[in-house]
Amino acid sequence: MTADARGAVTFRFGGREVRGREGDTIAMALWAAGEPVLRRSSSLGAPRGLFCNMGVCYECLVAVDGRTVRACTTVVREGMQVEPGGRP
Amino acid sequence: MTDARVLDADVGVVGAGPAGMVASARLAAAGLSVVVLDEGQRAGGQIFRQLPGGAPHPARGAEPPSHARGDTLLAAFADRDVTLRRGATVWDARPGRLWFEQDGASWLLRCRRIVLAPGAYDRCVPFPGWTLPGVVTAGALQVMVRGFGVVPGQRALVAGSGPLLLPTVTALTGAGVEVVAALEASSRWRALRALGGVLGNGGRRREAAWYARRLLGAGVRLRWGWTVFACEGDGRVQRAVIGKVDRDGRPRRDTARTIEVDVVGAGFGLVPSIELGLRLGCAARFVAARGGHCLVVDGAQRTSVPEVLAAGEICGVGGAEVAMAEGDVVAGTILHELRGIAPPAAAGRRAAAERRAADRLLAAFAPLPGLHELATPATIVCRCEDVTLQQARDAAALHGTSARAIKLGCRAGMGPCQARICGPSLQALAAGRPDQPMDLPVVQLPVRPVTTATILAAPAG
Amino acid sequence: MVETADLVVVGGGIVGCSVVHQLARLLPNTTRIVLVDRGPIAGATSGSSMGHLMVTPDDAAAYALTIASVRLWRDLQQRRGGFHYQATGALYLADTDADVAMLPVLRDQFVARGDSAELLDARQLRDLEPGLAPDLQAATFYPGDAVVLPMLACGVMLREAQAACPGLVVRPDCAVLGFDRDGDRLAAVRTAQGTIATRTVVNATGVWAPDLAELLGQPRLPIFPRAGNLAITGHHGTPVRTQLLEVSYLRFAHGAAAVDPTRTDDRGGHAVNVQPQSNGSCLIGSTRQFRGMDRTLNRELLHRSLLRAQRYAPGLAAAPIVRTWVGLRPYAIDKQPLIGPWPPVPGLWIAAGHEGLGITLGPITGRLLAQQIAGVPCDVDPTPYLPARFCA
Repeated sequence: MTADARGAVTFRFGGREVRGREGDTIAMALWAAGEPVLRRSSSLGAPRGLFCNMGVCYECLVAVDGRTVRACTTVVREGMQVEPGGRP
Repeated sequence: MTDARVLDADVGVVGAGPAGMVASARLAAAGLSVVVLDEGQRAGGQIFRQLPGGAPHPARGAEPPSHARGDTLLAAFADRDVTLRRGATVWDARPGRLWFEQDGASWLLRCRRIVLAPGAYDRCVPFPGWTLPGVVTAGALQVMVRGFGVVPGQRALVAGSGPLLLPTVTALTGAGVEVVAALEASSRWRALRALGGVLGNGGRRREAAWYARRLLGAGVRLRWGWTVFACEGDGRVQRAVIGKVDRDGRPRRDTARTIEVDVVGAGFGLVPSIELGLRLGCAARFVAARGGHCLVVDGAQRTSVPEVLAAGEICGVGGAEVAMAEGDVVAGTILHELRGIAPPAAAGRRAAAERRAADRLLAAFAPLPGLHELATPATIVCRCEDVTLQQARDAAALHGTSARAIKLGCRAGMGPCQARICGPSLQALAAGRPDQPMDLPVVQLPVRPVTTATILAAPAG
Repeated sequence: MVETADLVVVGGGIVGCSVVHQLARLLPNTTRIVLVDRGPIAGATSGSSMGHLMVTPDDAAAYALTIASVRLWRDLQQRRGGFHYQATGALYLADTDADVAMLPVLRDQFVARGDSAELLDARQLRDLEPGLAPDLQAATFYPGDAVVLPMLACGVMLREAQAACPGLVVRPDCAVLGFDRDGDRLAAVRTAQGTIATRTVVNATGVWAPDLAELLGQPRLPIFPRAGNLAITGHHGTPVRTQLLEVSYLRFAHGAAAVDPTRTDDRGGHAVNVQPQSNGSCLIGSTRQFRGMDRTLNRELLHRSLLRAQRYAPGLAAAPIVRTWVGLRPYAIDKQPLIGPWPPVPGLWIAAGHEGLGITLGPITGRLLAQQIAGVPCDVDPTPYLPARFCA
């Protein structure tokens, strides 16, 4: 592997500060940061995380600035506030 | 948000994978205006994934020889005057019209021809623990490594069936992940029958030899007739139970053993992404070895709906070579229809030959009905709605055995994935009919979830 | 050998399931009941509906019927559950002067029936539902309404019925093709899966009830399909926890239709009904339009209802819509359901024509019909609902 030449992007997930890299999706930045749990399931409240990583399964839904988005198709921005998806 | 966002083009292409890139590059080279819509951030599709600029690149030789074609194709695509709309979710269509959401805005693309090249997604077979964080599809692992330069974990299990397991394994080993086990559910006996499809084709022969060398180099042995029985862990996957399956894919419980892993990639082949085609009214047919319901096309890649063409996995799973050849045919057909240029006969012959070779190869990996015995009554089958196999079976027993009846009886398939994940196995699992084709999915508006604001701001077309 | 049954119920929607549910509890457990539906159980109107349990206070008889049914729903929830019952209440909203003036009137109607409802000022409204549009100054809150998932409720009723009556057979995907008669009386039902000899048949086929009547050589019942367009958000799409209704909904849905239901050029109308579900989804309705059996989406009406919903709950703008669809309500020409015998054909019973109140009234309809069939006193006077009012 070559070295990573990308700049850092800092965002928050559930109140915790996470450092990602430019071009990362929310899901990839969180996975690389060792956080595989992205939400709680709709009925049982079980932990769920990334699954298909290509926008099909909607398992990785999180809330960004109050909007529900797929963590695997949404690119991180500096200062982004990300909350785990889950039961309201 | 309310200002009309309307684009006009000669051709609108859905999907910037191999089929969409070949078709659009050729059409643009001939002077047609082309707009390509793709949900990803970069062209290439799932197979020719590109890393973000500056991300760590693997060493030379870490990618199989066929991927060199991707580099050529991406370069050609980038040279042409093709408009690529990244992060675009197409949610409605009719002939000559594609509605999409991009960065929260609502767009309409008006075009003379629509080319459907949306690709495919992983076929999922539910097993106990497949909802644990850390258990992902085989495709997800490839995207992680080859699309983002992310190292998925330290100890990986790769399980499933089909030709995509090998690139998943080599992507992992290339990223320095220890692949603890690589399990192909199909038997070696079935694979032997596929060798005709591999050895008869020079490119595929070189490809197979490359994978063999890579696996040997990494010390990974692909075990035929094995699969994942269950995943376990506290809040995330920590262990996997693996074992042998019989020729029909039925687990042989006496062979079960537990291994320690921190990431699992499971993929039991691919399912063609036909939803947009169905929304357009295109005819489909069920071909088990090609992944299920596929759009019907003629020799010129025309669907049953005028002015709508299709290429690649949407016409049946076949891989990148088929997709590129069919994308070429699509371009020839459109240039013929719009510019009066006679299509080269060789393109059609090449596409047909690639299809035949792919069909022979994939016949070895046709879905195994016995794998549906991996799930227990308590296993979640619909991840969106948290529906268990027992609930789905009860629904089928009372409400009826059609896909719609099962949905009504337990809500499986009613969540945001719109049954893409559970649909392909739901009827087999719940109605106890693993050998019969599933019902054709019913596609309702929107084809993908989009916001109320997007629907309301959609330009009239 | 011809299959025999004491009773055949045609139609596996909420009404047919409730009829079976109540019969199984009233008749001896040796009774052989067959429920047939040409599609899946709950596959038509019931599976397309909002699942609102709605108490209507504006008319004494309607109040008595709806409150009795909602109590039966609560009993079923306490006894069995399993159909996502949620006591959301109903928050009646208004944004015109005329409708705002209706808010205290509505409260007074509930109070006059001996029930309770509350008139909320702007602050109380904000406390209850912070996600509502900030300009709303007042609302009427009625705590008695609830929400269920009708398709799951159909399953719960049938399973409870099967436990009480082992002779109950549920047969989806089994269309009725015709009937055999023995003089005036019914003798058998011919279905896609064979003939069932029976002397008692219940027509619970909703918008298809006129077709079934015709199969029996009877005049078409005056029930007309009234289409509704619905949308549902993904799991994180509910900006409210209480069910929202425009106060105009009551006259829009239950008042006299402004148009002739036999015409097909009805442009349709809408009144907001926003319904949070237990999994965090939000159902958005509702529209009404007569246009025959057409179940294609009316984009214009759907857009108008989404816009109106967003006007009250602005958070819906960012909510992802997962699915849209059309359901057909069985609108009876005099706006009263048909529950009872059909005198020209001894042995034929009807339970149909509930318009948008089919889910609310499902349990009481099943109960009133079962009580009439079993010959026991009815919980509520069935006279206004007897189908005989349509006999020439």
